Amino acid sequence: MNTYTICIFTENTIGLLNRITIIFTRRRINIESLTVSETERKGVSRFTIVIKHESRDHVEKLVRQIRKIVEVMAVFGYLDEDIVSNEIALFKIATPLGATPLDIEYINKHFNAWVVNWQLDYVVIEKTGSEKQIFEFFNYIKPHGIIEFVRSGRIAVGKTEKGLVEYLPDVEWEYYL
Amino acid sequence: MQTTVSEVTEQQVQVESSRVATPEVDAPAKKLIKPLTGAEALMQSLVEEGVETIFGYPGGAIMPVYDALYDYQDRLNHILVRHEQGAAHAAEGYARISGRPGVCLVTSGPGATNLITGIADAMSDSTPIVCLVGQVFASLLGTDAFQETDVIGVTMPITKWNYQITSADEIPEIISKAFYIAQTGRPGPVVIDIAKNAQQELMTKAFSYKKCEKVVSYRPRLIPKQDQLEKAAELINNAKRPYILVGHGVLISKAEKELLAFIEKTGIPVASTLLGQSAVPCDHPLYTGWLGMHGNYGSNVMTDECDVLIGLGMRFDDRVTGNASKFAPQAKVIHIEIDPAEIDKIIKAEAPVVGDAKEALIRLLPLVKENDHTAWRNEFRKYDAIEYEKVKAPALAPTTEKLKMPEVIDMLSKKTNGEAVMVADVGQHQMMTSAYYQYRRPHSLITSGGLGTMGFALPAAFGAKVGDPSREVIAIIGDGCFQMTLQELGTIAQNKLPVKAIILNNNYLGMVRQWQQLFHNRRYSFVELQNPDFIMIAKGFGVDGHTCSKREDLSASLDTLLASDKPYLLEVIVEQEENVFPMVPAGTSVSAIRLE
Repeated sequence: MNTYTICIFTENTIGLLNRITIIFTRRRINIESLTVSETERKGVSRFTIVIKHESRDHVEKLVRQIRKIVEVMAVFGYLDEDIVSNEIALFKIATPLGATPLDIEYINKHFNAWVVNWQLDYVVIEKTGSEKQIFEFFNYIKPHGIIEFVRSGRIAVGKTEKGLVEYLPDVEWEYYL
Repeated sequence: MQTTVSEVTEQQVQVESSRVATPEVDAPAKKLIKPLTGAEALMQSLVEEGVETIFGYPGGAIMPVYDALYDYQDRLNHILVRHEQGAAHAAEGYARISGRPGVCLVTSGPGATNLITGIADAMSDSTPIVCLVGQVFASLLGTDAFQETDVIGVTMPITKWNYQITSADEIPEIISKAFYIAQTGRPGPVVIDIAKNAQQELMTKAFSYKKCEKVVSYRPRLIPKQDQLEKAAELINNAKRPYILVGHGVLISKAEKELLAFIEKTGIPVASTLLGQSAVPCDHPLYTGWLGMHGNYGSNVMTDECDVLIGLGMRFDDRVTGNASKFAPQAKVIHIEIDPAEIDKIIKAEAPVVGDAKEALIRLLPLVKENDHTAWRNEFRKYDAIEYEKVKAPALAPTTEKLKMPEVIDMLSKKTNGEAVMVADVGQHQMMTSAYYQYRRPHSLITSGGLGTMGFALPAAFGAKVGDPSREVIAIIGDGCFQMTLQELGTIAQNKLPVKAIILNNNYLGMVRQWQQLFHNRRYSFVELQNPDFIMIAKGFGVDGHTCSKREDLSASLDTLLASDKPYLLEVIVEQEENVFPMVPAGTSVSAIRLE
């Protein structure tokens, strides 16, 4: 079972999320994570969808099927070694009086995690990294009592010299930023 | 780029008059263009697109459009169907014969959902239709308002594109985009959902119409890449037993002449899919018949034996391939197809060629060598002789008192000289129409191939008649299918459309019964029909007709049908337990084809 990251560039229109995810549903492929945001080009959105699949052939067919959607401009499918990717996780950790104190320095140095919010009875720690790194930290911090844990979808850029937006249809794109 | 500004009708132009007394009274009179309502803009947009006929059914959420249509009756012919499903199938029939998008106009909620079967059918068979659907006021969207259905959500998986319009200003641009998307690339259905407020309100700007010529994110490739063509040509030139399968794409791209030039130069025998029928005249010496579950014996066997298989404008549907892993086991496959998603989807292509069938053939022709392939192409004759002896001769021979479906189709083929447009419904009669009618002209078989929609033929037939009134249109319908959309006899009668319909009545859901006989030990589970008097029903609608149950009456019955200049229904009572052969059992290899 390989992990594939599928990057989809689309027009920024209503209902497109449904139109894309329905293709995964029809092919009975589970979406592990999904992130959407507008790109540096105005009106162009980027979907980053992570799936696990045994067959590269099936994933290629899926990619072609997604490309058929009228509003989709380009689709790229990647294996993990082809991309630089990251996720972000927030941990709400209980800090009641008398509990084992958190070793903030260790957390910073070993896990590259940061306390982003202090409260009387809890702190919120932000950890960015791969899924593996996030769960390593999860296991470390678990004994302190995790009140809440949330992890974002993956975001990724390809390890190519060109930006993926360069592959979009040839029009005069306006920069969003 | 062509930019057209709509003609402005007299009442829409008011010359500035004494209403405004200003110092500029001596200036040239300005023309103030009265803004159009959304409904008027829709009508004007359809006129700009060259739409002549709309198949529709009014209702609450589309009434402003119907009100506007009242003033456009001289430019837009509206045909009132009896059920929205009929509108969709009629639009399909219109599109299939004319090559122009068929247009449906219906109300929200149930009006829209009644279109669903036709939309799915059009999607399966790559048929360009534009469905204009009324919707509740934008302010009520999502509130479960009266007759509100999430049409965009419902139709998303079965449309090429859909869009919800919530303001009048959007109408011209979206309509032009809808027509462009529906008919370019691989054609398909488009649904435009129009909120009632958008129909009623005035546009905030003057109406102008620009035909859509491109959509940034949608770039169908028409011209194939040269390296793909060269690789295909190399395979073709080195092939010993090449074979061509042509599909609907050839008819859609109007590539019939180019196809003939190609096969005559290369000497490659050719078969068609069900929907590719009539792309090559049936009497052409290189045509081996059609392929698939009930296709010709020779075509199926030759697919099994060929060394290079050229799929042209077809998608290797499972009704064509049988067990895909055993399909054309010796062949290197060249797949010429406009939709890249079809490449390698079912059958791995050694040489994919992405592009329009006509453009591909034009560019392939100079790259391929002249050839004869005499021995290979003549192999077909021995298979044809086997099929004739085991299947066709018995099917056409009068062995019992009851008429058989092949006899009817064969006689009809001879009487019409293979020139009629056959609109076949779905089932045994559909397969017989495909097998026994000798098509001579392109676009002569209109049937529901991909979805297999019972009830398709009657509405599709009148749509086809509207699309090309010059051609004789004959619907072949089973008694089961007929009862799904028979109310469209009313549409045919009201509009005086001289459509001919033949019911092949065996009092059974024949194809299901055949499968039950062959694969379920003759357990005929709920397939027998207690039928009404079809001719009395037709006469009730104002359509003349009669029943033929004797062999000696068949010729005269068909003559009466063909001689009529009005709609006519002929019911033919046929053998009850007749089977369609050849047959490739579902899920097996085409080499497992059964002749009896």
